[in-house]
Amino acid sequence: MIEINKINKWYGDFHVLQDVDEVIENGQTVVICGPSGSGKSTLLRCINGLEPFQKGEILVDNTSVKDPKTDLYKLREKIGMVFQRFELYPHMTAMENITLAPRKVRKWSKEKARDKAMELLKRVGMVDKADAYPANLSGGQQQRIAIARSLAMEPAYMMFDEPTSALDPEMIKEVLDVMVELAKAGMTMLCVTHEMGFAKEVADEIIFMDKGKIVERGTYDDFFNNPQTDRAKLFLSQILD
Amino acid sequence: MFDVIGRNFVFLMGGLLTTFELAVLALAGGIGLGMLVGLARLSKNPWIYYPITAYVNLLRNIPLILVIFWFYFVMPIIIGEAMAPFPAAVIAFIIFEATYFGEIFRAGYQTISKDLTAAAFSTGMTYAQTARYILIPIAFKRMAPSLITQSIVTFQDTSLAFVIGLTELVRRSSIVDNMEVRSIELYGFAAFVYFIVCYTGSQISLYYENKAREVNLI
Repeated sequence: MIEINKINKWYGDFHVLQDVDEVIENGQTVVICGPSGSGKSTLLRCINGLEPFQKGEILVDNTSVKDPKTDLYKLREKIGMVFQRFELYPHMTAMENITLAPRKVRKWSKEKARDKAMELLKRVGMVDKADAYPANLSGGQQQRIAIARSLAMEPAYMMFDEPTSALDPEMIKEVLDVMVELAKAGMTMLCVTHEMGFAKEVADEIIFMDKGKIVERGTYDDFFNNPQTDRAKLFLSQILD
Repeated sequence: MFDVIGRNFVFLMGGLLTTFELAVLALAGGIGLGMLVGLARLSKNPWIYYPITAYVNLLRNIPLILVIFWFYFVMPIIIGEAMAPFPAAVIAFIIFEATYFGEIFRAGYQTISKDLTAAAFSTGMTYAQTARYILIPIAFKRMAPSLITQSIVTFQDTSLAFVIGLTELVRRSSIVDNMEVRSIELYGFAAFVYFIVCYTGSQISLYYENKAREVNLI
């Protein structure tokens, strides 16, 4: 379980996160949407300690992210993260991208890491690209490898930071299919995305953020059919065009 | 007229061997230390950033020949005994070249997006692991042309060690010259040897650079 308790973050004078509260139960999929600059990505980065925050508390399985005694490296092992621009290691093959952390962090044998990677490549439909370099893969293929790379550490949570917004339209579905499958298999997921089809299919809750605050939250039907704020109505009309 | 070369060929080639030994150690140490200097130059920790930045700025603004001299004469005061020219030259070169390699690596690290580092951290890798498996290899590949150029400069610079009496190629040429007074042939030969080694080195590196670009686009 991830508990976010009234966190506040400033970049200088800019108040990027304002009293953000949220609880993500195990097995849930939470979709975060909102206009750019609303603090969605920053929120994800606070959860795994990539970014510090000044006030409030985040607990991941009752471990405080803010506590200086917390081993953030250890904590991150159980929170996978997928980025907008994939961020595959360009000097390594798909297989090497996936096996690096299990081998170096978990100290798995080469064979064990390879077996796990093959299983994941099968799951994301990329077995035939195991030895390809990122530069020779399409965006959709790179993102599926990036998902496999995160899953290789057997995380309890997965965070997605706009995983399809850098993709050509015809590649979005192949990535969303993998994410839907993951959500249905019971993974606890936090997804920053504007893909409302995905939200409809798997989201247990949708959070709408604006200017660093959560301004609406609810089920897909609540949010989609009955938005409460003008900001959310405007946002929905823009992304549904 | 080049008979002086033939008569002293073994002696001169012994000098070339010393040149190679010094260059190899200077490059291994300078590049290795340079990787860390480059990281330190991007550190957010002021206790790391400022001392290393001061070191880099100091050494890059002093002629190498003075660094060699200074090191050779100051070390005995620090360690209490005279240092042989070879180890003194090796240490002076490593400390000097690491500042140049450090700046090349720093530029290389800066080509790597912050999110790539974040991706590595998000899999649980530590900073040291991220540096070793991600940052350094990528910087190495991307900066290969600059690293090779600096390596060739370092190889040529080793001739400066003659000022502290290291009997490398140039020093041995001057020793023979003092006995036989055949300056043009001897220094011409030394220049020719440097040219062959450096030109061959740059051609080999060009070949591998192009080959690397074909198979692995980074």
